[in-house]
Amino acid sequence: MATNSQGNPFNITKAVDFSDEEISNYWVDIPTGGGFLEMAKPTSPMPMLILGGKGSGKTHLMRRLSYPVRRLDRPDRPLDVVAADGFLGIYMRCGGLNSARFSGKGQTDEAWAEVFAYYMELWFSQLVLAVVRDVFTGNDELARAEAGICASVSAVVDGPEGVQTADTLRALCDSLGALQQEVDASVNNCAITQQMDVRIRTNRGALIFGVPRILVERLSCLSGCLFVYLVDEFENLTERQQKYVNTLIREKVSPCSFKIGARLYGVRTYSTYSADEDNKEGSEFEVLWLDERLRKQRRNHYRPFARRLVVRRLQEYGYLPTTSVPAKALDASLSDWFQQPSTTDLPASERAAIVKKYARSERPYFAALRAKLLEGMRARAAPGISAEGDVDRAVGNLRVHDRPLLEKTNVFLLYKDWYRHRPLPEASLAIARACHEFVSADVRTGRYWDNFSHFKGDLLAQLYRECDQKQRYLGIDAFVDMSGSLPRNFLVVLKHVFAWAMFGGERPFGDVPVSHRAQRQGVAEATEWFFRDARTVGIGGRQAQESIGRLGALFRAIRFSDKPSECSCIGFSFDSAEASDAARDHIRIAEQWSLLIRVGTQRDRNTERVDVKYQLNPMLCPRWDLPIYRRGILALTPGELNAIFDPAFAEGFQGLLEARIARMTAPFFGRRRRPAKRGDTPLFSDDAHD
Amino acid sequence: MIDYTVLYKRVLPVNDNWPEEVRWKVFISAYTEAARVQRVFEKVSADSRHWLVLPEYGFRGDELPPGNAFVAETRHEGECIARFWETLGTLGPTGSICIDITGFVRPYLIFLIRWLMEQGITVFDAIYSEPVRYAKRELTQFSGERIAEVRQVAGFEGVHGTDTSNDVLIIGSGYDHQLIAHAAQSKDNARKLQIFGFPSLRADMYQENVLRAQQAEEAVGWRTGDQANSFFASAYDPFMTAHVLRGIVSAQNSRKPVTNLYLCPLSTKPMVLGFALYYVTERLNGPTSIVFPFSSSYARETSKGLSRIWLYRVELPRT
Repeated sequence: MATNSQGNPFNITKAVDFSDEEISNYWVDIPTGGGFLEMAKPTSPMPMLILGGKGSGKTHLMRRLSYPVRRLDRPDRPLDVVAADGFLGIYMRCGGLNSARFSGKGQTDEAWAEVFAYYMELWFSQLVLAVVRDVFTGNDELARAEAGICASVSAVVDGPEGVQTADTLRALCDSLGALQQEVDASVNNCAITQQMDVRIRTNRGALIFGVPRILVERLSCLSGCLFVYLVDEFENLTERQQKYVNTLIREKVSPCSFKIGARLYGVRTYSTYSADEDNKEGSEFEVLWLDERLRKQRRNHYRPFARRLVVRRLQEYGYLPTTSVPAKALDASLSDWFQQPSTTDLPASERAAIVKKYARSERPYFAALRAKLLEGMRARAAPGISAEGDVDRAVGNLRVHDRPLLEKTNVFLLYKDWYRHRPLPEASLAIARACHEFVSADVRTGRYWDNFSHFKGDLLAQLYRECDQKQRYLGIDAFVDMSGSLPRNFLVVLKHVFAWAMFGGERPFGDVPVSHRAQRQGVAEATEWFFRDARTVGIGGRQAQESIGRLGALFRAIRFSDKPSECSCIGFSFDSAEASDAARDHIRIAEQWSLLIRVGTQRDRNTERVDVKYQLNPMLCPRWDLPIYRRGILALTPGELNAIFDPAFAEGFQGLLEARIARMTAPFFGRRRRPAKRGDTPLFSDDAHD
Repeated sequence: MIDYTVLYKRVLPVNDNWPEEVRWKVFISAYTEAARVQRVFEKVSADSRHWLVLPEYGFRGDELPPGNAFVAETRHEGECIARFWETLGTLGPTGSICIDITGFVRPYLIFLIRWLMEQGITVFDAIYSEPVRYAKRELTQFSGERIAEVRQVAGFEGVHGTDTSNDVLIIGSGYDHQLIAHAAQSKDNARKLQIFGFPSLRADMYQENVLRAQQAEEAVGWRTGDQANSFFASAYDPFMTAHVLRGIVSAQNSRKPVTNLYLCPLSTKPMVLGFALYYVTERLNGPTSIVFPFSSSYARETSKGLSRIWLYRVELPRT
């Protein structure tokens, strides 16, 4: 059964590392509707931009549409595949053009634009001819029409002899290749001679659109077939070069169309050389936002898709049978391969461990509360607390011997009451009563339940931290959800988890579930990779990354404060008009590199202004011990936003963070302190705010 | 076919005087604050000695060295070297030239090799001085944070084909893991191989090198040290580097013909010289290029001490 069972099934995380056969074998579709192919609309003549974050699956999808992969469905009858598909996918990577060389070297931008356009004509036409030759392997029709096709193509090329005398597609392809090499040599020598001697022998579009048109006219088998240029890694082209491709999109001629794959930051311009007009979405092209589409349908599409991805890998590597076991059963077994704690409460074993650990000492959250109450008492800032006995009673009321998480909830509620100036002895008694009702009668309404259900994740995280335990990002579903709908992130997590499990002597996907330890280490490594990897080409990337570091630090400080203002807070909103240009710029870069995810807009509570909302990519959350599921949204002031995202204001970040966290911290909750005098009223100024 | 391993190299004394015959008509060095660069410049015997001041080091006017110092204003390696060369006057193919490669920013050094060849120079000497250690050991930062672009080095752009089904990228991996990652990402679809400097300049430098290279593993696509994808060449021997490159490419071609070959020398300067020598000797005008992640700045001083001075006699093919 095992074909590859010694290896890590998740080692390959990039589609570019796959052969055509592997692209086909590892293909997994979303479970509903027409799947990815329906999204990509390969037979539609309308050009499409396929945009997505790094690792969103663009390349896998585009290669899946390419002829060399499509033909694997019927290797012996490629023409049947083309006829059934109705399109012929011509795949190319812009990275292969090494396009940066078409610039500088003492030549004008205009000259380079002409040379690049000519080069693309030669490059594309060779790809088309190579594909068509393969399609017609063993078919007579091409042989009969070949000389005529060559003659028609040579008519749009000014010389040379090789092109003019070619009477087979192979010879024609070789001649065009020779022209391309002429250009290469001239472009390269230009660095030494500072002179460019390229003779441009064809008009823009003459080959790119002309060759498919000639083929369709002369080969009846291709009648009605759409030639789809699958241009991947668009971000590797300069702005002028993209302008050229945009012009092709605008001026496309039947039977051709384009699918352009690019990262979120990859499209530098929509401008064209057609009177410098911009291509418009809906008019000249449509857009498939790949990861956003998956994110919006996380439950129905992405989760089952990601689980299928794992099953497919495990089958390919021999960890799972390929037949005889229903796919649903295999899918269901995935969760069992990872040790998972309850996400709603502390497991009994961990509760017992905490009880035992602090059997002879105060539990850390009570110790902290006691210290704050005493400090508040001395500063006359703890309502109703005037003696140490009051402190003992208030703390004592909050105890629930074997339920540390409920104790955390009780402490949290007391901090909230304290913030509201409520007398603390009475407040602690009320909390104790509510807690008792919750435990004994399972009351799921009211203040206690609301706070418990909303803040449970944060309180559990605080508990882990206070009791010297690691945060939990465990189980296949957590891995799926923390990947932010980028399949590569998901595979990278699994890759590291698998590697750590093997390193620890475990047998992943065997009889025993993968340990907490291996999962934690794998997640930590994957998170670090994602953060590090985002350090992009260009200084903006580094600054965006540093901004994310500050944002993460702020969220962490909120989560582990006495009285977090928001629950599960990994999102923020802001008034875009008030942000500095640099801050907006770095937010844009962070979004384009998937460090931030835009989650819509929201109305400001006080002003009715519509603010933009973002959240941290959940893949980054473990780096700061944050939750991977978002609930609360933090409304950032312009000052805070600029201090986080604009390096010019970053110096003020620490002060702003401390000011915000002080408002969530007992005993003073950010209110101004005045020196305590005998007989003074409680030390709260009137400008307290949250 | 040239046997690189018989090419001539020797060690020059660090403290004692150099032999009488070790002198040149022209000596060229790239200016940095490193003592090992400045000591060699002072020690060398030549009719004329020239500093090339590269913009990546960010020297201000009042920081320039005395004497013949050409301050490059362009960051394009081709334009920079061409303008610098104009200041040297006519040398001719017979003029004896020595280049201290120690302080050069890599793309300038790489282009210079092609430039010398195009000038009809078939033999030149190169000096490399080894440090005792790098300033912060495995944490030493050589290039700046900002990578402006990853592109081919001028004169090493090759003639590439449309078939990209078996592209190969060979990275000479040094300490700058970010450069490794950028190079690997720029040729995402290529099969990546790494050459590490081993034996390294100092015993512990290999470990330091691997520790840094490990941080680029995800971009490279396999574990650092993976036997099938890791190769080794002496960190101080350009000729062995060229020899190892030839062996790797030959082995790859025999497995499956390489469609496009990309070389990315990020390791020691002698290895960079080896990459360039291999290219101009065997890969010119083919589907091979040297790619490089261009950093906008480099640290002026990254090393401590001077432990050994190498002299290489480099032979270039005729154009």
